[in-house]
Amino acid sequence: MFGYVEPDKPELKIREFDVFRGYYCSLCKSIGKRYGQVSRLSLNYDLTFLYILLDSLSTIPASGRMQRCMVHPLKKRFIVSSNIFAEYTSDMNIILMYYNLIDRWKDDKNILAGTGALAMKRAYKKAKKRYPEKCEAIESHLKHLTELEKNNCDSIDEAAEPFASVMRELFECGYIKDENERKTLGWLGYNLGRWIYIIDAYDDLEKDAGQKAYNPLISQYGYKGNGDGIGDFRESIKEKVNFTLTYSLSEAEKAYSLLGIEKNKGILDNILYSGLIARTDRVLRKRGRENEKESV
Amino acid sequence: MKKNPYKVLGIKEGASYDEIKRAYRELAKKYHPDRYRNNPLADLAEEKMREINEAYDFLMKNAGGSYQYQTGYEQSYENSNASQSSHSQQYQSQQQTGSQYQSGYNTRYQYEDETELERKVRMFINSGNLNEAQRILDRMQARNAAWYYLQGLVFLRRGWYDRGYTNIQKAVNMDPTNFEYRNALNNLNQQYTGYRQNYYYRNSYHNNPDMCNLCMNLWCADTLCECMGGDLIRCC
Repeated sequence: MFGYVEPDKPELKIREFDVFRGYYCSLCKSIGKRYGQVSRLSLNYDLTFLYILLDSLSTIPASGRMQRCMVHPLKKRFIVSSNIFAEYTSDMNIILMYYNLIDRWKDDKNILAGTGALAMKRAYKKAKKRYPEKCEAIESHLKHLTELEKNNCDSIDEAAEPFASVMRELFECGYIKDENERKTLGWLGYNLGRWIYIIDAYDDLEKDAGQKAYNPLISQYGYKGNGDGIGDFRESIKEKVNFTLTYSLSEAEKAYSLLGIEKNKGILDNILYSGLIARTDRVLRKRGRENEKESV
Repeated sequence: MKKNPYKVLGIKEGASYDEIKRAYRELAKKYHPDRYRNNPLADLAEEKMREINEAYDFLMKNAGGSYQYQTGYEQSYENSNASQSSHSQQYQSQQQTGSQYQSGYNTRYQYEDETELERKVRMFINSGNLNEAQRILDRMQARNAAWYYLQGLVFLRRGWYDRGYTNIQKAVNMDPTNFEYRNALNNLNQQYTGYRQNYYYRNSYHNNPDMCNLCMNLWCADTLCECMGGDLIRCC
């Protein structure tokens, strides 16, 4: 369910790409430092976006230096120096990943996920100690999600609500002092979460239909069968899914423009105005990651 | 404390009238109340719009004028004055028509047999108290066009766009003559296409002809010409 929020790389300036990667590396490093090397594997682009967004709300220019890191030992890279937001997002990353692994372990007894969860348990406990209220809220949202899935909820809006609320929780970072900004961030997060949940459902249609797993789109639009004619079904709901996804993005964009961010504007504009919609189109056309190189 | 009007409009100090106007138009489009209808952040957008209007009016009266003093001050000042007043008038009139619609509807509803409950739902939606609005909607008996419309609005505010759209569409189908419902539906479609057609994505490589394409076309044209005995590109 993760890693959908990404920049439209061909549209980025090279300098912007370096800064983007600088943030990514900074987050990765921060996780490694705080939670041990294994946890570094859990990092994804969605949280990198959150880190850049939060950091861009402060007006202090991003600083960093060329450094080596364990993952890329051969070449020095530009890495943004860590700050409070890097710590916050790395904590949130650990929490989110832990829940994700637990969920996968419970769902289909995925050994890899189970081992991962076990390995991350200590890190999770540490993060939970820091943000007990956030964890509690996220846990209750996810519990709600499990219930909805169990009852085969037949509304994508309703099914997307818990995950969207989790994202709202993450985006409403306590270190942002301005209440209006927090509220705006929350709405951005909510809509982004909604988008992620639904695009993931559309992306996984074939897989879920084959395994008879829960998928909100299958429930809402009543697909029966186990894999045959899923292509036609995919086509038949495409316009509706397209509307929901694009509208969610447009609301996220409205929230973003209210933040009036100047720092890292190139990167953030790229993600909000181009990266997300390009991603949407790729999934709608069922061109997932495997064909990414071709489109570039 | 008042903010620096140049900063508000995002332009350099001493920008010309044209630049100020362009920046203003851009921002006014961005934060226009129509775009933030059914959005929980509408009040913030309104505040921003007010800020932008103030900055624009201020610059048009003061800084822009003194900056252009040497180069045909009279003329440009008059022009800008005219356009400025027309701008803010336009915006105000839009706002007024907006509220007129609303008040018009309210009064009309009061004369017709619009129940007290619907008025309450509207009130709660406007103040952002969605749970209360939903409670009243659940209590209401009639499932008429107005009910579906209001239910749609509540869903939209919640972020449940799929259901919101379906409900508003239903309201329009039940009462196609109602201007307000149709307007809401149009607005939804507009937000959707508006986002898809933003300049960033539209102008990018996704649908632009690139160099490869150009060479390919040239080569095709050349081959075709050669078929007919002519030649477009000598060397191949």
